Amino acid sequence: MIRFEHVSKQFGTKKVLDDLSFEIEKGETFVIIGRSGMGKSVTIKHMVRLLTPDEGNVWIGDDLVSEARGSELSRIRLRFGLLFQGSALLQWLTAGDNVGLPLHQGSDMPQEEVDRLAEEKLKLVELTDVFHKHPSDLSGGMQKRVGLARAIITDPEIILYDEPTSGLDPMTSRTIDALIESLRVKLGVTSVVVTHDLHSALSIGTRIALLEQGKMVEISTPQEFIRSKHPAVRDFLDANFITKKPDWETHPS
Amino acid sequence: MIITREPEFLPETPNVFARLGRAVLLSCRESGRALLMTGEAFLHMRTMFSKRSRFDVMYQLYITGVKSLGVITVVALFTGMILALQTGLELRRFSQQVNIGTAVCVSLTREMGPFMTALIVAASVGSAIAAQLGTMTVSEEVSALEIMSISPVRFLVMPRLVALVVMMPLLTVYTDIIGIIGGAIVGKTQLGVSFRAYFDNAVAFAHNKDLYVGLFKAMVFGVVITAVSCHQGFCTKDGAVGVGRATRKTVIVSFLTILVLGYVITRVFYK
Repeated sequence: MIRFEHVSKQFGTKKVLDDLSFEIEKGETFVIIGRSGMGKSVTIKHMVRLLTPDEGNVWIGDDLVSEARGSELSRIRLRFGLLFQGSALLQWLTAGDNVGLPLHQGSDMPQEEVDRLAEEKLKLVELTDVFHKHPSDLSGGMQKRVGLARAIITDPEIILYDEPTSGLDPMTSRTIDALIESLRVKLGVTSVVVTHDLHSALSIGTRIALLEQGKMVEISTPQEFIRSKHPAVRDFLDANFITKKPDWETHPS
Repeated sequence: MIITREPEFLPETPNVFARLGRAVLLSCRESGRALLMTGEAFLHMRTMFSKRSRFDVMYQLYITGVKSLGVITVVALFTGMILALQTGLELRRFSQQVNIGTAVCVSLTREMGPFMTALIVAASVGSAIAAQLGTMTVSEEVSALEIMSISPVRFLVMPRLVALVVMMPLLTVYTDIIGIIGGAIVGKTQLGVSFRAYFDNAVAFAHNKDLYVGLFKAMVFGVVITAVSCHQGFCTKDGAVGVGRATRKTVIVSFLTILVLGYVITRVFYK
């Protein structure tokens, strides 16, 4: 479904992606984790050609997205829904208008039908009574869910989530996780999630990849990931208290 | 046209000529991008009455036109009054103060009307456009539009271009009228020129060409303000600091371009 072939990307003197190759199967939830600044968001931006690789190719099915331009790029992008880290909602539109925007601007669908579908998608992400509210009137978690409703209104094949739980409290984060999982089950979409929330990654991922120094040092199922012997994976797990007790428990003084 | 740009890292160079050369090349490239964007916005104008665009166009017409009226009224009134007072005091030495009608009318319709209107609109509407689009750019809203296959040029630039191209000439006519009225008030109260004499004199020596050239200038200035403000907005980086920088650059570049183009147009039409 999504294939990276020897993709490299450099910003100034910093090599962010280094000969990166991996493949994501249709229908799976592929989670990319890693420390900040390791190139997680850069990786998903290559999938929709917000960034172009210095070397290598990015394939979406049979489409070479890294070379696409104009109408071909628009066609490929319509296969995607993207939930941005900061939701990226248009502040002057209501939540309902934000959700319906891709249909309002991209089709000849009557406004009533657009509104009905927007309402339907808002219900799917468990939001009611927000249709006429502006983003500034909504909490961070609600804004993420509105962003998610907008991402799925065109029924995309692939949904990309850029830090879907960042800045949210643990309870709201778990709600978002449950939504991502339920959308995969209900809509059968392929999901790519970028996060540094390991708990989230372990609960929603069918496969987890750890990005370190521009390379994926581990790609495995959640069960295999926890058992991995790779030092970078062990460090990441330790930092999240998955394998050892926190210092304040082992050294109470 | 792809609006979302990749971060650019240019190597440092100690050579002053190399830095100057790079600055010139970058300016040329950015001017080219702004022109391409404006050209694309003109092509999208065919969709301005479509269901998806008409509300945005109407809203921008309202913001640009109605919301600018207050400040334009004050500036135009006092511009006309200053023109009348300065000219009238000199003309009075030769007992020719009755001719201030012509002086104010010609100055305003040919030069001052479009120029003052453009400066006000660039400072108020242009800077607001740059700030809004700049904020949208840094918060990835523009990228989100592109991912949804919505052209930011059609969705964001075209309605603003229509609004400024339509409203600038209308606002200029309004500036001219208010300025001429301001001149009449000063003529009557300070220089002893009756309203009838003032307006008769203004109408007798004013040419249609002055008005048409002024309106043409206003339209060109509208395009300049849209191109500069939208381009600066889309180029914004570095968060809130970048938004401030884009707004400042919009006002400066717009002012300079308006000044230069104002001279060029006058030179072309009045040889």
